[in-house]
Amino acid sequence: MSAPPAARRPRALPWPGVLTAAGVVAGLVAALTVVQFLVSGAASGPLDWLRLVTSAVWDPPRQDFGAAAMLWGTAAVCVVALAVATPLGWGAAIGLTELTPPRAARWLRTGVEVLAAIPSIVYGLVGIAVLRPLVSTVFGVPGGDSLLAAGLVLAVMVLPTVVAVSVDSLAGVSDAHREAAAALGLTRTEVIRWAVLPLARPGMRAAVLLGLARALGETIAVFLVIGRADGRLPGPGELLDSLARPGQTLTTKLGGPEPVLAGAAGPHWAALSALGLVLLAVVATTTVLGVAGSRQDPTGATGRWSARRCLAAGHRWRGGADRLLGAGLRALVAVPLVLAVAVLAMLLVRGHVALGPSFWLTPSAGASGGGVREQVLGTLVLVGATGLLAAPVGLGLGLLLAEYARPRVRGVLHTAVLTLGGVPSIVLGLVAYDVFTRSAGWGKSWLAGALALALVVIPVAALATAARAEALPAARREAASALGLTRGQVVRSVLLPWTRPGLLTGILLGLARAAGETAPLLFAATVFAGAGGIPDGVVQAPVVALPTHVFTLAQDAADPAALEAAWGAAVVLVAITVLLLLVALPLRRRMETARLEAAT
Amino acid sequence: MPASRMVPACLLTLAVLLTTGCTGSGGTGDVLRVSGSTTVNPVAADAAAALRNQEGTGEQPRMDVTVDTQGGSAGGLAQLCSGEIDVAMSSKPVADSDRARFPDCDHTPTKIGEDAVGIIVRREVYDAGVRSLTPAQVRGIVEARITNWSQVGGPDLEIFVYDKEPGRGTREVLDEYLYGDADAPPPPDSDRFAVVGGNEETRTKLLSTPGSVGPLSTSFVEGYPQLAAVALEGVQATPETIASGQYPMSRPLFLVTDGPPRGAAKTFVDYVVSEPGQRLVTKHGYLTLAQLEG
Repeated sequence: MSAPPAARRPRALPWPGVLTAAGVVAGLVAALTVVQFLVSGAASGPLDWLRLVTSAVWDPPRQDFGAAAMLWGTAAVCVVALAVATPLGWGAAIGLTELTPPRAARWLRTGVEVLAAIPSIVYGLVGIAVLRPLVSTVFGVPGGDSLLAAGLVLAVMVLPTVVAVSVDSLAGVSDAHREAAAALGLTRTEVIRWAVLPLARPGMRAAVLLGLARALGETIAVFLVIGRADGRLPGPGELLDSLARPGQTLTTKLGGPEPVLAGAAGPHWAALSALGLVLLAVVATTTVLGVAGSRQDPTGATGRWSARRCLAAGHRWRGGADRLLGAGLRALVAVPLVLAVAVLAMLLVRGHVALGPSFWLTPSAGASGGGVREQVLGTLVLVGATGLLAAPVGLGLGLLLAEYARPRVRGVLHTAVLTLGGVPSIVLGLVAYDVFTRSAGWGKSWLAGALALALVVIPVAALATAARAEALPAARREAASALGLTRGQVVRSVLLPWTRPGLLTGILLGLARAAGETAPLLFAATVFAGAGGIPDGVVQAPVVALPTHVFTLAQDAADPAALEAAWGAAVVLVAITVLLLLVALPLRRRMETARLEAAT
Repeated sequence: MPASRMVPACLLTLAVLLTTGCTGSGGTGDVLRVSGSTTVNPVAADAAAALRNQEGTGEQPRMDVTVDTQGGSAGGLAQLCSGEIDVAMSSKPVADSDRARFPDCDHTPTKIGEDAVGIIVRREVYDAGVRSLTPAQVRGIVEARITNWSQVGGPDLEIFVYDKEPGRGTREVLDEYLYGDADAPPPPDSDRFAVVGGNEETRTKLLSTPGSVGPLSTSFVEGYPQLAAVALEGVQATPETIASGQYPMSRPLFLVTDGPPRGAAKTFVDYVVSEPGQRLVTKHGYLTLAQLEG
């Protein structure tokens, strides 16, 4: 076989390079806009940083801005969430990888994926309609609005993250370690305790950090059940009691009415921007640390386990202890699946209006009547536009990460992309509100919403593309080079087709998350009534969408009609998310299999 | 589609979308943007729907009106002055402090009806004897100095206060009643205190919390027998006492424009104060302009 004549080869159009440059510029502009927005906001008025972090008094009329109570609230709900999700998640992950036969494990992983796919606004609805009454009855909290209720909602939301990242880490431990430990006469749980966990530990810690990042950035689900009371900073003796009381977090403060009331400059806006900066810094740090931890190679030299120590720890009740622990871990495996089934069953029973076609096909009428036709269309418009915006930028950034950047630059860029992925969606919403709605005079616009949502999708798409591109077998590249292709031609003819499934999966997974985001839409893109799903124009063109529809109806949960419509709309939203995942997940599985085959 | 064509296709679609979008939109002329109070919202939303659907009746041209409730009354007034919306809904009069905050803006309110802010308690508390409260008692309750219903003639049950978030019209009417021109104090140092936003959320949370109390438009508790509005200084909120101003927390409802209403804003405001528009005011439990005069 000979190379085709030079004239018939793909011409070396520079567009991959141009695209990469454009993607990088767009990504940089976006990242800079977010940071610049917060910094200039915080600098737009006098701001006493010391008072902001030490005082609990938040009193805008008197220009007194202390956020200590919000910092406490944020910390408290995260601690509650992780205290519940960490043992459950670790246990489930261990049981899943070590003690469950592969076929059953696949089902259980689906349960985890379902939990991860449920949009946060649906968890908010579950929170206000199910968890508030539950917390009120079980813990005697009046009404149920409390840090505890918020923490429990977050626990369910971060559980899939903890399980999934822990499973990856455990699965990365080579079977040779398990076999060696078993050959020494260790029981199954002793193998886990002494051989597997020491190696998987960094990854499992990272799982908790990534769960923490998700908990820190969540707004809407917390907003509905926390009570939003300012100034609640408990003394040292009443920390535990304060969990049963209403409070406020950084995100719920930013998600409330104050950004609209504060004006675009001055001390109030400066204080709110400062809250955004603090939030962004904490979430970004947690994300970067978490991802760094989860990428550590468990088979590398960093992890060690000692046969001598584990044999010394042997005792008389080994058999019984093994059976007991094994049973416990197997029971924990069921937790994510049971939760997933429970949430889905709840959706189907309470949202049964959505099971017939008429709910999908009729427009809504009044506050809570009719169907959700326009909301579905609006969500599809937002998701479609977001995908179109995110695809080129994601691909460009991904190619830069994997192909063009030098190793040191790559490290920095990787961190930057991760940080962008860790920006809480409420901050994106405020940026879109300030930049497009207020400063550019767009008013509410679907495009402003799609631009904000694109920032949710771009990091996911870029990282998936880069991961796929890095996995390109060297033989292919060498073969292409041997045929005389230039680097640009290799990128165009070999690398791009190879990365396509990676990009597509990244986009779809990102969109599944973006479809359920509420906060950015609330500030920049949607209205309560009077807009349709198909916008006419770009500027001054709001749409209605499912997440904000559920959000509005959920607040009116005392009205049975509104509650029924809220559950119905939630079912539709989950259905759209699941459809996106149904395309994405098999694609990802196929890539994983292909990667494994290529490796052997 | 191969990746090599997918990306240019995306870019092209996007470019087409943006150019058609930017040139196709006529800017602010097409759509009337209304935002603000959740109390006025039901009336405005119905009026918007009526104006949108009356194409062909020949009375008025069809017009598009978007209605939103971000930030409540104060949010609406703020957005009006930054040009984000054309008509603000307000469930309180435009205060001097509002005018001072937005000196460049000529707030022009048009009254569309009247409503009352009730101090809403749970039926069991009402039936057990809390029928009327004085301003001093209400102040004591929201400042968490009165913490049990037995202190105001009710059952031995702890009070739980739901206050409205800052900027809500209802909250400002209550503050005006309790504190006059003085600033309201910061939130009380109480564990039995939470903040709510719109009227629907307030109602939902009052309905689910024993011993709760909160300020809420009396129209929003009609049809909910589990809740009751107490009398203030012995005066119940009835159409007569609201119209006469005898009920102390009666309040006008407004549509506010920047300068006298013009164009689409005028059409909208005129519709709400016209006879069909006023029927919507009645439908949602508020007093019409005619009832106030009569």
